[in-house]
Amino acid sequence: MMRQHLLALALLSVLILPAAAQELKPFVGGSIKEITAARQGKPFILGMWSLTCAHCREELALLSGLLKKHPDLDLVLVATDTPEEGDAISARLQQSGLGGAQAWVFADPFVERLRFEIDPRWYGELPRTYLYDPSHKVLAFSGKPDPRQLEQWLKKYFTRH
Amino acid sequence: MSNSTIALFLAATLAVCPVLAVDHAGHEKSGAAAPAAAPTDRENVWKAKLAKPSLALTTAFDGKGRLWLASIRGRHLYVSHSDDKGTTLSAPVMVNAEPEDILGDGENRPKIVVRKGVVYVSYTKGLEKPMTGDIRFSRSLDGGRSFSAPLTVNDNREIISHRFETLEVNDRGQVFLAWLDKRDLSAAIRKGEKYSGAAVYYAVSDDGGASFQPNLKAADHSCECCRVALALDSDATPVIFWRHIFGKNERDHAMLRLDGKSSPIRVSYDRWEVDGCPHHGGALSIASDDVSHFVWFNNAPERHGLFYAHSADRGNRFSAPLNFGNFEAQAGHPHVLSLGKAVHVAWKEFDGQNSVIRGMSSADGGKSWSPSRQLAATTGASDHPLLVADGTQAYLSWNTAQEGFRLIGMGP
Repeated sequence: MMRQHLLALALLSVLILPAAAQELKPFVGGSIKEITAARQGKPFILGMWSLTCAHCREELALLSGLLKKHPDLDLVLVATDTPEEGDAISARLQQSGLGGAQAWVFADPFVERLRFEIDPRWYGELPRTYLYDPSHKVLAFSGKPDPRQLEQWLKKYFTRH
Repeated sequence: MSNSTIALFLAATLAVCPVLAVDHAGHEKSGAAAPAAAPTDRENVWKAKLAKPSLALTTAFDGKGRLWLASIRGRHLYVSHSDDKGTTLSAPVMVNAEPEDILGDGENRPKIVVRKGVVYVSYTKGLEKPMTGDIRFSRSLDGGRSFSAPLTVNDNREIISHRFETLEVNDRGQVFLAWLDKRDLSAAIRKGEKYSGAAVYYAVSDDGGASFQPNLKAADHSCECCRVALALDSDATPVIFWRHIFGKNERDHAMLRLDGKSSPIRVSYDRWEVDGCPHHGGALSIASDDVSHFVWFNNAPERHGLFYAHSADRGNRFSAPLNFGNFEAQAGHPHVLSLGKAVHVAWKEFDGQNSVIRGMSSADGGKSWSPSRQLAATTGASDHPLLVADGTQAYLSWNTAQEGFRLIGMGP
């Protein structure tokens, strides 16, 4: 029992710790509409990742590299972890050089609905990357995308540093 | 304990801790050079994940038609039973007296098998580092009134991944466990070598689960975090079915008869090349006439969705895979169960509002199938669907956050 109490305390302390600098938005039903509506007519990359997925670390490194080359790239990152892990998510993004990207975290246990709103053809595999062109036609990738393919797509819409 | 008590319990835990573990327990990889969060951060993340309530609830019938349930509450595994198909449940009995971090997210779930009055359970215990675990086993010799102190089945005790175990027991009282194991990856990393994926290991007990023989390796280079399926053939020999890494990176499916001399056989040729983790394993059922029935998920550009195939000759030849389920509705997590010539398949879809379990059945050993039909639905979080049989009837076994546990007949 004692250990459980300690665990509960540890969890509480995570919840009441001051928020990291990067705002982490709760991703719930309707969030994807909010994301796309704010980018009408504009291209962007939506990257789904998780703290517990090593391939996602490679993905974050790849996206960070792209952001250095194309500083005007609009990058939206959604962690499929939980809001309780917010500090670790922000820390990982900072370490990956992605502290400036818009960051969200899944905040609804009904993950099937969240996935469906993003893409009915996404089955939860990670990482998952979506390239939205200006008309919001979407290219989707499961697993770490091919850097050359990403670069080709980026050249069409973003200036190169 | 009644269904409503379980529902209340779930509601209470959800209220205290409103977010369930998302099903993405990933995997580490050799030589990953990307900067990691400080170890303490990662460990705290892991602890936070482990502390979340799990909907993973596994059921099995014994030979007398009694339904047995294994589920996780806090840091304990509990077993209860029901004599009225799950309407009323016995008081749950705690399996592990010492608290442990029992994995019940994604493809992790406790296992339960009841043979000749003995209740066998297994689970994966999460260790202090993220994505690590030990395979644990316990049994009850007094009809589920008490359980033996759990023992660790993997004989490699590094703090690495030994996870996604599966359990079967034959009528001779031999106990079989198979799981995904990263000891070979760990050894390769120490030697500065590369090793793709994980390995499949298994253990056999010839004394009813009192002790296990040394671990044996079934195969190198499995995919890392998809559940392993295990079934017994007509000789009571275990057969496993798992997502393997073929060639450079084709994450297709393989089967292996664990007779000590067979070689792995490739079952699927969908050729999904993905540098990622599907979290999406298949299922296997072997009928009394020795026909093996397989279901799996793949997401290759050309061949994607759910597939069914059978083999009447232990993997020499397979039927042409049947693609089923609505690919536009997240059709996933299929399960299969055979009862003689009858074969039942269940899977999960999402229709835009509800998570729906759909099913289809065959009366001729998988040659022809009924149209698919909806078996159950929920408007909240839910477990993967399971199929169980009481010897004559097949049932869908499904746990949901809103409705609690349900057992639903599959019909004839």
